This record gives sequence, structure tokens and C-alpha cells, in this order.
Amino acid sequence: MVYLKTPEEWQHHSALLLQARPTTTRITTKYKIPNLASPKYNKPNKRKRDGGDGEEKEQHTGPKVPRAVLVLKTYDPESGVVLKLKTDKAADVGRLIEGLGRLGRRMAALPEKAEEAVMEDAEVAEQAPVGGATAPNGKETAAAATTGDGKALHTSGGGGGGGGGGAKKKKKGKK
Amino acid sequence: MAREHLSNDDFFTQLASLIETTHQRGHGSVYLTQKRLTFGSSAPSSPTGKVPDDPLWDLHPPNPLPLIVRATDGKSHKLDKEGGATAKGGIGRTKNAEKVKLSTVVQPDDIEAFFTRYAEVCKGGMRGLRRRDRSKRKKKDKGKKKGLAESVKT
Repeated sequence: MVYLKTPEEWQHHSALLLQARPTTTRITTKYKIPNLASPKYNKPNKRKRDGGDGEEKEQHTGPKVPRAVLVLKTYDPESGVVLKLKTDKAADVGRLIEGLGRLGRRMAALPEKAEEAVMEDAEVAEQAPVGGATAPNGKETAAAATTGDGKALHTSGGGGGGGGGGAKKKKKGKK
Repeated sequence: MAREHLSNDDFFTQLASLIETTHQRGHGSVYLTQKRLTFGSSAPSSPTGKVPDDPLWDLHPPNPLPLIVRATDGKSHKLDKEGGATAKGGIGRTKNAEKVKLSTVVQPDDIEAFFTRYAEVCKGGMRGLRRRDRSKRKKKDKGKKKGLAESVKT
């Protein structure tokens, strides 16, 4: 299981997983408001930290307001790949769901729109150094194994631009 | 799933009220799942049937496939405090008959409209998340998305 750091990264890797296993992969979005009265949140914080963490400790004991979180999870039961993304920012909701829509098109085997392909390229370029370094091996190989078919999928659907985007994406991701 | 799928409209109405009830309770979760619909599809020649010779059978379906979107409150079990707790202090788990389960099928043509509305419902409903706050200095390190651990306080 991997927690990815940025929504772009999550989007990118989820797209690759979905490309490899479009039928079994599912995406779950969990919106959670924690129950601050539950024992889990009332444990005394015993962990001693030193150095500059004093400030952080103080923050944890601050006023308790239930702070909701959003966790997105892409899961493929066949290969066991789990990609997660956690956020607590309201500003992320809109674009994450827009991302879900884009991934939904892949699930439905619809061709990517040309503008989306361009956008994804931009995203990948931006996060390429990070993505290359932290990408779990399983995904990389799965994606690599299906490069040919993925392309075929795009072009057969009439999305020439989408196919081109896919190929470019792979190249950058592998760096 | 035993129950009927909802229409997209009913799904959104009920999803909005599900999120709203979660808020009123003050805690709880809403689970939203999306997946390619591979069961009981209307096409007579099942486009999702496995072809034994081709391990990559699902990568190039002849037609676009519908999606299934589900929403639940995640309460498969309920804590049975009345009956179980008195016996040994143990809390029994029983199946929760009131679990909220919603599902809808999104046709390939409707995907865009669906997700536009989906985004609206979620943005409107998920109010517990952190708002953008420009006055905090911490926001300045852009490019780094921060995790949950950090909470902002000056």
C-alpha cells in the first residue's frame, strides 16, 4: 500500500493501473469525520519527541474540532495494488472529483479527450522526478507490460491524441 | 447487491442527504466507490466475458462500458450495546439492517454530466475539510502538499 504525496501523482499512477487492469480496478473515496469522543483520539500522547517538535506537540493538544479527511484509494484486487491519497483540504475536492471523472472515462473504455492528454502530460512533466523515484515496482512493470495494448485501446477509440499522450507519459515516468 | 440501482438523479439526492446526516451526527464516514460495471450488462454478447487465450482480454472491449457508482455509510455492523454489553462487558457485533447503500449505473455517454454533478454534491456536502486560509504562512511552501498530520495554528 502506498500513500502518494500529491493529487497529480495519485492521478497519474491510478491512470496507469487502470490502463493495465480496467475491469477489476475500483476507486473508493472515503469522506471521514472522526469521532473525537472515541478512545482512539483520547489516548494520551506518550511519544516523546525532541528538537523542533515542541511546537507540533502543542498543536495536537489544541482545541479539538473534528477535522474531516478525504481518502482516495485505487485498488486492484487481482494484483493487490493499492494507491492512496489523503487530503484534508477543501480546495482539493473539486479537482479530485474531476480526476475521478477522467479515470471514469478510462474505466468505461472511452477515449481520452485531447485536452486531457495534454493536461496529463503537463502534470507528469511537473512531477516526473518525484514519480520516477518513488514509483513502486509493481505498477511500473504492469504499465510497461501493457504499453502496446494501451496504445491500441486509445487509437481504436478514435483518440489519436490520447494515444500519443500515453506513449509520452510512459517515457517520462520511467526516467 | 439485492436492491435496485437508483437513477442518477435519485442517487445524488440521497447521497447529499447521506453526507448531511453524517455531518449532523458529528462523526462518521461516507464511502464512494466507482468501478467498471461487469455484471449483468445489457449487451447480449457479454463484452466482459473472459477469453482464455488472451490474458489481456479486458484491455480492448469492443464497446464503452457503463460504470457503477456506489455510496455507503460503512456501517456494516452495529455495536449491540443493549444486549451484548451487559453480559461480559463485551460488545456484540450484529449485522446492521439500516446500513445505507446506494448505487447507480452511469452510462458512458453520461459520464461527464454525472461527474460534474458529483463534484457539485461533494463540494457542497463535504464541509468538514480545511478551508483555504491565505493568512497562514505555512501555505507558502507551495508545490509540497501537506498531509493530515499538520494542523495550522499560529
